[in-house]
Amino acid sequence: MGVNAIGPVEPGDNTYETRSEPADEIAAVPVRTSTLFIRHRRTALALATTVIVGAAGLSLYLTRPRPPEPPPPLYPSQTVSVAYRGEMTHPRAGDRTFSFTVSLRQDSGPPVSVRRIAQPTTALSVTAAPDTPFTVKTGSPRTARITMHIRECGKVQRNAGLPFLVVTLRNTRAMQIQSFILGSEYAKDLSGALTAACPPNTDVMSKTP
Amino acid sequence: MRQRSLIAITAALTAGALTLTACGSRDDKDKEDAGGGTTVVIGVDAPLTGDLSALGLGIRNSVDLAAKQANAKKYVDGITFKIESADDQGQPASGQTNATKFVANKDILGAVGPLNSSVGESMQKVFDDAKLVQVSPANTNPAMTQGQDWNGGKKVRPYKAYFRTATTDAIQGPFAAQYLYNEAKKKKVFVVDDKKTYGAGLAATFKDEFTKLGGKVAGTEHVNPDTKDFGAVATKIKNSDADVVYYGGEYPAAGPLSKQMKKAGAKIPLVGGDGIYSADFVKLAGKEGKGDYATSVGQPVEELPSAKEFIANYKKAGYKEAYEAYGGYSYDSAWAIIEAVKKVVEDNDGKLPDDARAKIVDAMQDVSFDGVTGKVSFDEYGDATNKQLTVYQVKSTEDPTKGWKPVKSGTFTG
Amino acid sequence: MHELPQQLVNGLLLGSMYGLIAIGYTMVYGIVQLINFAHGEIFMVGGFGALTVWLWLPGGTSMWLALPLMLIGAVIVSTLIAVGAERFAYRPLRGAPRLAPLITAIGLSLALQQAVWAWYPNAKSSRTFPEIPGGSIHIGSVTIQPGDIFLLITAPICMFALGYFVMKTRVGRGMQATAQDPDTAKLMGVNTDRVIVVAFAIGAAFAGIAAVAYGFRYGEVQFRMGFLWGLKAFTAAVLGGIGNIYGAMIGGLVLGVAEALATAYMNDIPGMSQLGGQSWADVWAFVLLIVVLLVRPQGLLGERVADRA
Repeated sequence: MGVNAIGPVEPGDNTYETRSEPADEIAAVPVRTSTLFIRHRRTALALATTVIVGAAGLSLYLTRPRPPEPPPPLYPSQTVSVAYRGEMTHPRAGDRTFSFTVSLRQDSGPPVSVRRIAQPTTALSVTAAPDTPFTVKTGSPRTARITMHIRECGKVQRNAGLPFLVVTLRNTRAMQIQSFILGSEYAKDLSGALTAACPPNTDVMSKTP
Repeated sequence: MRQRSLIAITAALTAGALTLTACGSRDDKDKEDAGGGTTVVIGVDAPLTGDLSALGLGIRNSVDLAAKQANAKKYVDGITFKIESADDQGQPASGQTNATKFVANKDILGAVGPLNSSVGESMQKVFDDAKLVQVSPANTNPAMTQGQDWNGGKKVRPYKAYFRTATTDAIQGPFAAQYLYNEAKKKKVFVVDDKKTYGAGLAATFKDEFTKLGGKVAGTEHVNPDTKDFGAVATKIKNSDADVVYYGGEYPAAGPLSKQMKKAGAKIPLVGGDGIYSADFVKLAGKEGKGDYATSVGQPVEELPSAKEFIANYKKAGYKEAYEAYGGYSYDSAWAIIEAVKKVVEDNDGKLPDDARAKIVDAMQDVSFDGVTGKVSFDEYGDATNKQLTVYQVKSTEDPTKGWKPVKSGTFTG
Repeated sequence: MHELPQQLVNGLLLGSMYGLIAIGYTMVYGIVQLINFAHGEIFMVGGFGALTVWLWLPGGTSMWLALPLMLIGAVIVSTLIAVGAERFAYRPLRGAPRLAPLITAIGLSLALQQAVWAWYPNAKSSRTFPEIPGGSIHIGSVTIQPGDIFLLITAPICMFALGYFVMKTRVGRGMQATAQDPDTAKLMGVNTDRVIVVAFAIGAAFAGIAAVAYGFRYGEVQFRMGFLWGLKAFTAAVLGGIGNIYGAMIGGLVLGVAEALATAYMNDIPGMSQLGGQSWADVWAFVLLIVVLLVRPQGLLGERVADRA
């Protein structure tokens, strides 16, 4: 204290009074809190350190230079192509099935599962070999043998100009039902097969058992 | 009698004069800072005014965006791209005038457009004679690439300089027929068209397939798209007991037709091609438009990652008008020209050769890149190899820009 | 044939609109022998006038309040433009050869069309017009839209009011006098300048009303609508006998019904299937016009008058 350095030679009136106050008492209040701190110092320090380190770590983690997220795979209909490969069988009048070959190719991205192959009219039903579902991988095209079963000759669309297969595709991004229009050769062959199996004049007796 | 002949003469004169003025063209040059080096101009022809301007301005802006992006990326070394746009107002005569103007401008090395097939037909020969490449984002008439006898199996490409990124009506009409007959279970159709190249062609391909599938045609009608009064036609449709109406034409007439026929009591959907796939259709048809269908070329935009980038850039560029149905195709058309220019320049030691136009036509045949609408390349007829199409339906009419929703999509792999 | 009543109503509605616009051609022609080819555009700006009023009104305004205000807006805009055109474009040319004001009219028509195209917001393509709410009304096999009821009520009222005005009022009789002989009328104390202005104004007001009806019927207005409709209305005026106000209305109705019936029935006639339908309706309308003019060169109600010129 300044008092010690250039203090009065003789004590003044209140000199002793003030000095005589017990130091312990003055410090009493702070001491209680500081003892509390001292008592739990280790815990508190440990806690604070944990929090700071945790926060720093988290912020570092959040602001870390991240490689750009790989783009989600494309919708399956954009990567899969289906082409007509011919080999249409020649059904005779009264036959109820005929078949042909298509190839399925996956251009890029993760494998696509082919869930279902169908076609739009109610007069026909479709089965495929291999059985659906099957998978098409990038770089390894698959061929599938499609068999059509004629359910009702009377409703068969003999000369559709733009027939298509309805293929249900699924990858990790989405499931899609896509129509694949297989072009004029398919239209011609399909029309030929249907006309052969269901000659136009047998419409009357066309109901299948 | 003098007065009466005066009336006759003035009537004829006025009709003539007014028709001519409708063909006048207005072009606005989009000046940009040339970044040094050579400037290559891409001509854009589209209806920038009139009924179809919503689609036309979307085309113009999208081509502009392609040019800007190419410049920003310095995509072709030493070449700065600019666009020059011309307004055809949907009129073949104006389109031909614009084509002649483009040919005369030595800086123009490629043209994008037009919207209408009828306009495109008037431009093809002009461009082909000058060996100036033309890429249309929207012409869908099959004869333009495959010759008049395309349907008889004899496909002959009439013009070497003509390419398109759009799918043809030969696919679009039948696809709609298949969807309506087999999946929406519509059996009787009333076919209406506007007698124009696009509308009549589309309606014919649709009708052909619909009847082949077993559907019945309850009636046909041709309309004049300039008049908005379809009252008499609406009454015919109502009394025809058709369960669907197919309209070959564009939205300025299709919207009012949809509204009027439903108000007249024919509560059946109206179906059209890409010409009605526009927010303006929903606006014009009002709440009566709900349930109507349109086929359009390409896949739904929300399924294409490349399209998202295009949309973001389009928004950033701050164009006043929406990109509409053909925005992505226009961008890809312009980009195909840019790719062809790049190829030609790189094969010629970084300079444009003297016969750049002819070389670009050749280079265009082999162009291949991943565009906004998918893979862009052209087959031996100049048609896009990427042939995808989607059936849309109007699901809500409160916000016309969000009215159309995809219900079915297909891929042509023939 | 069960759709005949409906097609007749369709035709009458269409014809009422032709008739309302045709009044403008016929009145102006009757008094100053001018074919005001800008009249189609006056009809068009009327539509935009009504649309502007609608856009100014706060959203959700009841149609009962909005409709009269829109009508007033349309009539004011049409009338101001027409009277302005008369004052500044046609009056200075009154003594000039007939072709001069005619060319002026064509120029004015283009100017108005381009002005709307350039300056009216978003008018480069169709602008949607409000609808009159409410369901359609069925009377037997005939369906009438709420928007058409407006036309059904307005068109006859307008015609009777005009007939009364021309026959009974002082200005109206002045009009008749001016139409018969402008010089003598002037000598008799008729203020011919005023009569001419009134003729332009009435024609324009009718065009404005027709434009509102157009908006309600078709749900849109656009800058080019004046061309085709102006041409049709002019045809109606000639068909009915240009210069005769009742002729204009009758001509309009005949034209409208002819178009509707041609659309509905022409392709049912054996051998005519290629020449029917709506796109041929205009052709049949003009065939009708030619036939009528061959039989009655003065038009349906026109009077054979000695040529003054």
